[in-house]
Amino acid sequence: MIVLDEVTKIFPGAREPAVDRVSFQVTEGNICVFVGPSGCGKTTILRMINRLEEPTDGDIYIKGERVKDKHVNADELRREIGYVIQQVGLLPHQTVEQNVALVPRLLKWPADKIRSRVAELLQMVGLDPQEISHKYPYQLSGGMMQRVGVARALAADPPIMLMDEPFGAVDPIVRERLQDEFLRLQKELKKTICFVTHDINEAIKMGDHIVILAAGKLIQHGTPREILTAPANDFVKDLIGENKEIKLLELTRAAELVKPQAELPPALSSNGCCVQSIDPVQRALEIMLKENSDTVGVRDGDELIGAISWAAIKEYINAINANI
Amino acid sequence: MDFETDRFISTLVDRAPPHALEHLQLVLIPLVIAFVVAFPVAILLTRRRFIRSTERVMAVFNAGQTIPPLAVIAIFFPFLGLGREPALLALTIYALLPIARNTLVGLKGVPREVIEAARGMGMTDWEILIRVELPLSVPVIMAGVRISAILIAATAALASLVGGGGMGTIIFAGIDFFRVELVLAGTLFIVFIAILLDRVLTVVENILTTVHLKSR
Repeated sequence: MIVLDEVTKIFPGAREPAVDRVSFQVTEGNICVFVGPSGCGKTTILRMINRLEEPTDGDIYIKGERVKDKHVNADELRREIGYVIQQVGLLPHQTVEQNVALVPRLLKWPADKIRSRVAELLQMVGLDPQEISHKYPYQLSGGMMQRVGVARALAADPPIMLMDEPFGAVDPIVRERLQDEFLRLQKELKKTICFVTHDINEAIKMGDHIVILAAGKLIQHGTPREILTAPANDFVKDLIGENKEIKLLELTRAAELVKPQAELPPALSSNGCCVQSIDPVQRALEIMLKENSDTVGVRDGDELIGAISWAAIKEYINAINANI
Repeated sequence: MDFETDRFISTLVDRAPPHALEHLQLVLIPLVIAFVVAFPVAILLTRRRFIRSTERVMAVFNAGQTIPPLAVIAIFFPFLGLGREPALLALTIYALLPIARNTLVGLKGVPREVIEAARGMGMTDWEILIRVELPLSVPVIMAGVRISAILIAATAALASLVGGGGMGTIIFAGIDFFRVELVLAGTLFIVFIAILLDRVLTVVENILTTVHLKSR
């Protein structure tokens, strides 16, 4: 859906390019996370997609059309793309309702359509429209502000959303809630999302596809599992950090490591004995530690289909480590 | 000097009012013209295209404040002579800086992330100026207008020295003839005009200021 072709950006007066011949694609309906250290160019690339910056060289295509050619004015392009930034940037002199309604108002939607859409959006992001529509941004907490920011970006139902460290300005507990709720929302909405973060853990959690950048260059891109199991170089290994094994277990489904087993060891209590086949293996590991057992059952709904053993987990990890 | 109450009252009631009206004109006309000039220029200086000229243009406004109004009148004497016109010009030049400076500061003070979000949503530069930057700058801009108003209200007293009329006529008559009643009456009128202007401008500011700024 979004294609970047040899995109380059050199800021006037700079010796090095901020973005250096980067090419990759974003599949429709995916969350593509741009991750890398500060100054790697991830935000610049994001801002070139909606023409807040213009590339010095190279092209960006949305659905086959060059972003430059799609509209006469860049403003019109931006009304079709949702934009969420870290500090949110709600208009302080307007109510929550007026803020969320911003793009529909620019597009001249009828008033009652706008009103019902705002209520719908606020509920979607977990806020109570009655409570919050008439409030001003200074009356909101950080988490609430960011939810309003997301609602605002979704208002005109754009197919593409650009998000620049959207959950960076809130505390870790709120951040995790926002991430989970956003992933739940995305399951319903299936937007094409470009998400910028400097946090590799957030990238692995949120991304269907990860693009790793450093100093303007594309270092590696792939699914979270590909990045974890086949890091391209030491930089990527360092970026992933020390506990990649656990991260990998969070990404691997129980169904992958399950071996058929007719009965479970009696030591396992009936409540905490099993995981679902779609659950991450990491949850099975937690049960092993809690119940002091080497085996955890795997169910599909109510039906027992087999078990995961500690040995199987170790075998899996060892195999991956041997290949890196 | 001794104080003759009768003369004071008669000045207040008979002699001063016509000059008060003159004085009001000497304040309002320069204020409006100064606003019409300084406000748009300051806005232009915050636009990307002209941002490099900011220092040079502000230096001109600065000079306008620093040169004493009487000196301005002297400079323009060959062209405008004496009387009301050079006084109005001098007062207008004097009023430019607070309005220009405050408009500039107000616009620059709009949080950058608000403008970034507005651009990212697809607002045009004009829409951002009218719907975001200016509404958020109202308090600071109005503060500048009020400062100018009060400055000119006081300085307009000098207009009479070059035949421009205004309350200075009464005040300087009082000084020249050692009549403190006249000086006091004249000063009271100027103070009254200044307070009146300030009140009116406050009402205007309240009308223009949106709720969120009022409740701070």
